[in-house]
Amino acid sequence: MTAGVESGPLSELLASARPGGWEALRDAAESRLAHRDADLAPLGGRTLRTAPPAIPPPASADAQPYVHPEMMATRQVFVNGFHASHASCATALPAGVRFFPISTASEACRLLGTLGEGAPDLFEDLNSARFTEGAVILVPQNLRVGIPLHLLFLNHAPAAGEGSLPAVFPRVLVALDRGAELELVEEHHGEGAYLSCPVVEIRVGEGAVLRHERIQREGAEAFHFGALRAEVAQGGQYHSRTLSFGARVSRQRPRLHLAEGAEASLDGLALLGGTQVADTQSFIHHAAPHATSRQLHKCVVDGQARAIFNGSIRVAPGAQQTDAHQQSRNLLLSATAKVDTRPQLEIYADDVKCSHGAAVGQLDPDELFYLQSRGLSPEDARNLLTYGFAADLLARIPVASLRRSLRHLVLARTQAASLGDLA
Amino acid sequence: MNATFQGVTSQDYKYGFVTDIEADSVAPGLSEEVIRFISAKKGEPEWLLEFRLKAYRHWLTLAVPTWAKVHYPTPDFQKIVYYSAPRPKRPQYASMDEVDPELKRTFEKLGVPLHEQEALAGVAVDVVFDSVSVTTTYREKLKAVGIIFCSFSEAVKEHPDLVRKYLGSVVPYSDNFYAALNSAVFTDGSFVFIPKGVACPMDLSTYFRINNKESGQFERTLIVAEEGASVSYLEGCTAPQFDTNQLHAAVVELVALDRASIKYSTVQNWYAGDKDGRGGIYNFVTKRGLCKGKASRISWTQVETGSAITWKYPSCVLLGDESIGEFYSVALTNHKQQADTGTKMVHIGRNTRSTIISKGISAGESSNSYRGLVKVQPKAEGARNFSQCDSMLIGHTCSASTFPTLEVENRSARVEHEATTSKIGEAQLFYFQQRGIPAEEAISMIINGFCRDVFRELPMEFAVEATKLLSLKLEGSVG
Repeated sequence: MTAGVESGPLSELLASARPGGWEALRDAAESRLAHRDADLAPLGGRTLRTAPPAIPPPASADAQPYVHPEMMATRQVFVNGFHASHASCATALPAGVRFFPISTASEACRLLGTLGEGAPDLFEDLNSARFTEGAVILVPQNLRVGIPLHLLFLNHAPAAGEGSLPAVFPRVLVALDRGAELELVEEHHGEGAYLSCPVVEIRVGEGAVLRHERIQREGAEAFHFGALRAEVAQGGQYHSRTLSFGARVSRQRPRLHLAEGAEASLDGLALLGGTQVADTQSFIHHAAPHATSRQLHKCVVDGQARAIFNGSIRVAPGAQQTDAHQQSRNLLLSATAKVDTRPQLEIYADDVKCSHGAAVGQLDPDELFYLQSRGLSPEDARNLLTYGFAADLLARIPVASLRRSLRHLVLARTQAASLGDLA
Repeated sequence: MNATFQGVTSQDYKYGFVTDIEADSVAPGLSEEVIRFISAKKGEPEWLLEFRLKAYRHWLTLAVPTWAKVHYPTPDFQKIVYYSAPRPKRPQYASMDEVDPELKRTFEKLGVPLHEQEALAGVAVDVVFDSVSVTTTYREKLKAVGIIFCSFSEAVKEHPDLVRKYLGSVVPYSDNFYAALNSAVFTDGSFVFIPKGVACPMDLSTYFRINNKESGQFERTLIVAEEGASVSYLEGCTAPQFDTNQLHAAVVELVALDRASIKYSTVQNWYAGDKDGRGGIYNFVTKRGLCKGKASRISWTQVETGSAITWKYPSCVLLGDESIGEFYSVALTNHKQQADTGTKMVHIGRNTRSTIISKGISAGESSNSYRGLVKVQPKAEGARNFSQCDSMLIGHTCSASTFPTLEVENRSARVEHEATTSKIGEAQLFYFQQRGIPAEEAISMIINGFCRDVFRELPMEFAVEATKLLSLKLEGSVG
């Protein structure tokens, strides 16, 4: 399988985004997986290769369970990293909005690899060297898109075996021009053993607003290493919520750059059990004065799972009147679950309002007692509180059918479904 | 606001003077020969020389740590003088009158004349001048209740079994780069042993003083409190003004057995370099307490105002069930000072508790970081931690960072961390001023309020000193 961009129209534009040859990168990735990073050990010793297109090619019905009525005709579907044109439908887009596969893009590709903060990590480099497909979303000046857009990535791979591991490298570019507004839903679903390395690049223009829902429900055998770079221009707003349910090992690496007066929220929820590992490495850079950021990251950890949060906020010299707040809250449900959390503040300006907090614990015994005094069994009380802790983040998801289906998922995962339909 | 915060002083280092005493020094550089020389000079037993050599060989395999948020030229370890002792005019001092008059004048300039110290609120002072203990007061009084409080070298001679049992038991020589270096070349320090059931009748205090140009000071402090014993230990430092950086790599080990309690308080005011960051002490210290016994308690309180570079994490290992660890810290940096300080609380036993209160104040072009670890091991059922780290920035050219790490492997644990950043508000200052309180005084009062949670943990004498010290250090940066 050779990458389509090798000789395609993108090749020249992408050349600069490739720090090294694929082989070298892959070797580096594999040696790192094998030796250095204990959490990634299960990935070690596998040879990475790009995933073959699903065989047989999925019928449009395959994507059906994942389609939401609100976004019926504003969706682009990718299967194993390839655009599934028959499953996609983007006929309801307002005039002026462009939403198309990256392989057909040309003018926007200039932005690829130029946005955001800091050096890419290895997985992002792998994506840059190898991506063939993905999506481009362009919203023109002052256009408020009243209908949410849906990006759906489906991965089908054989169950875990020794040897080679199929890998997909989706790439997404979102550019909102001055004063534009958009709601975007990005979902990753899958089955089998594979590596998914999506990279999302975002530019929010002056005064533009992007609301971004991100749902990671990769297969239980899968690995997910996602990177996100967002640049928010003066007075722009970027609000995202990342919900991680799937994958054996997952990592989210959002990096935000905030210009003067920008606003951002970067919320996350990881619901983990079994031997899952979920890692979030976030970085918010307040590069200019008067920007505001809010971050709430919640983890519910059961079984032998492990949650990691490493969230960094930097307030640059001169970024006065910065208002940054960060919270990491973690619930340990089993004796063998583990949480590592590292909220970090680096402040180089004096007139700022910055705070962060982190808490790790179990359910409050008083709250459990209260529910039991109202007639709930200890188990139901526990499940209800767990559901409440997690579902808190779902309340403001704007797409009703998505909100509902995620609430059902959380109900099932917290064994609170028996309490009735709380969704 | 800028007008208010401008033009402030830079008060010269009040304690900057060099005492000229002929030192009995070894040539600069480090090798097995130098270690053997130090060991022989101090008449040490074979096992201690072995300990030093093992540490030295391990040190050779280590790299200088670079993870802290401080930037400085790596010290040339071959240019450091590893042994220097003030040469006494007479070998023994029968009384204070016989102490080297020049040495006495130094102490008087420092404001800690020994005769006053003796009288001061029952504080016994073991004065360490460069590397050899000069005099120990109140020894007899303490001896009566069975307490051993002496220099480390004396302890090696008189209580070798105790030293051998506990040396390196909390901070092994392999712990880190500077701990390994200290284990290889330490020259002296303090040893405290509080026997079973004894509450130390007075605060124990040591004043440190670095004196010889280019001599690193490698202190070793070991405090052991047996079952039910308790002690409060004070450590305070000032140093003369030098242009070359001086390395200080101390190791402090505390051991608390069942129901024992150790309170360790530090006021650190070593020379911080001049306004442009020339000179100043490198303070790379390893301090750790082991709550070995059930319901034991170790409390660290520190007021860090000096040193060019500070790299210091007084820690507690909470091994005994129901043991308690505490860390109260005020770190103030000004001009080009850099501090990376914090604590580690390792919960191993059941129902262990820890509290961390850290206040960082940065002014000038300084950098002030809190770095902490709270670790709850799988068997630490019912562990509880509360951490609060507040930063205050004065001026827009300094920085404040907070790097806490929470690692929790037991679900019954409750671990909480909070951090905030603030500045002195214009409205606050205005309020003080319209009540007739000048800006400088107002700032001092605001800062003292900011640090109150820590200051109230300090013993009386230190609390007074600390308050004065902070005002003194900030004169010149605000006003």
